[in-house]
Amino acid sequence: MLLAFLFALLSEGDRELAARLQRRDPQAMADLYDRYGRLAYSLIFRIVKDAAVAEDLVQESFLRVWNRVQGFDPERGALGPWVLAVARNRAIDYLRSVDGRMAQSAVELEANEHPSMFTDLEREVLNRDRARHLQHAFERLNPHQRLVIELAYYEGLSQREMAERIKQPLGTVKTWVRSALQVLREELRAAAV
Amino acid sequence: MICDELREAYELHALGLLEDPERAEIEAHLRRGCETCTAGVRRAAALNTQMLALAPDVRPSPKLRRKVLASVGARESRWAWMTGWPAAFAAMLIAVVYLGVQDRRKAGELAEARRFVEASATELTQMRAALALLNEPETRHVVFGQGQPQPPKGRVFVHGRRGVLLLASNLPPLPRGKTYELWTIPKGGAPRPAGLFQSDARGNALYLSPGPVDVTTLSAIAVSVEPEAGSSAPTTTPLIVAALTD
Ligand SMILES: [Zn+2]
Repeated sequence: MLLAFLFALLSEGDRELAARLQRRDPQAMADLYDRYGRLAYSLIFRIVKDAAVAEDLVQESFLRVWNRVQGFDPERGALGPWVLAVARNRAIDYLRSVDGRMAQSAVELEANEHPSMFTDLEREVLNRDRARHLQHAFERLNPHQRLVIELAYYEGLSQREMAERIKQPLGTVKTWVRSALQVLREELRAAAV
Repeated sequence: MICDELREAYELHALGLLEDPERAEIEAHLRRGCETCTAGVRRAAALNTQMLALAPDVRPSPKLRRKVLASVGARESRWAWMTGWPAAFAAMLIAVVYLGVQDRRKAGELAEARRFVEASATELTQMRAALALLNEPETRHVVFGQGQPQPPKGRVFVHGRRGVLLLASNLPPLPRGKTYELWTIPKGGAPRPAGLFQSDARGNALYLSPGPVDVTTLSAIAVSVEPEAGSSAPTTTPLIVAALTD
């Protein structure tokens, strides 16, 4: 009995952690933070480039996950990707509020962090080897492609906003985005084989 | 046809960066339950996650953990158990969560490594650090000394940030005035000292050489017997050599 309990704890994955979060197990939040806190912080810091702001936003992100975890499906959901998306969105929202984009921004982040967006992702999505492949693919992009990818992922700009920011025709921006994503997608597909 | 056009937009859609009319179009299409596109959206979410995870690793201040827990009304219990062993042990069990890796066989090996850590660590902080390394999904590990009756057996775990963890058993008793020394051996380079350690009375040793280590250039981990003060290069034939292969 004790052994079985021990083993269950030892082999706990995200699924069990999500279920404990839903049960409001007080230790679950600590475990969630220990698992994804540093990753979330690194991402937010990459976006906002300010340690104090990043800490506030990490707090906000985890609070949001805690408050919305009931909508998460522990069987099918991917906890890590969800936490990362929530973290990114908090950081992008912050950037937008700072440069006054909040009001006029035509794009809506909220809908895209619903936990249902992260169902049935493959288990190994946060695998380091995969990340290394992707990093190499990213480094192989030409400077234009890299720029638009950074603007999308780390600044939260839509293609129209990118065109304005870098003073390029929308069509050109779209071409860069499309070709860059194609390279990254292909890399991902190749790495998955 | 329409699916082919939309497939280009999944990543931006999942990032919340699509504007109308594309956004309305893709959402209407997805609501119809198109299987091709649902799979495409899933792949896009995976790509996005991995792109976001490429952010350079930065360590937050230790206070952040406390703040996060306080904000949801969860009390920080992790440090409280430093006060007493029974509480410490209970919390330890909870702290041993298994991150991400779902593979059964690997789970068995990791569980075994954790039991070893729990049985051999002489201090809580050492135990915590060792378990933290084991808990990292990207930790790589090598088994050494298998199938050999006499020499040391065990495992080496390597994590780029957290360092090298050595779990060894069957170590011969050390002569007086001697110590074990751990070495990291880069590809085509000379062994680098990675710390001194002792074995216990049963010939078990647990030693964590804290990171960072360059995992990409690391070719092997070795252990040799050295004078008590340690050496800058091995002076005896290593009794453990664990090669890391890709
Ligand atoms: Zn479709």
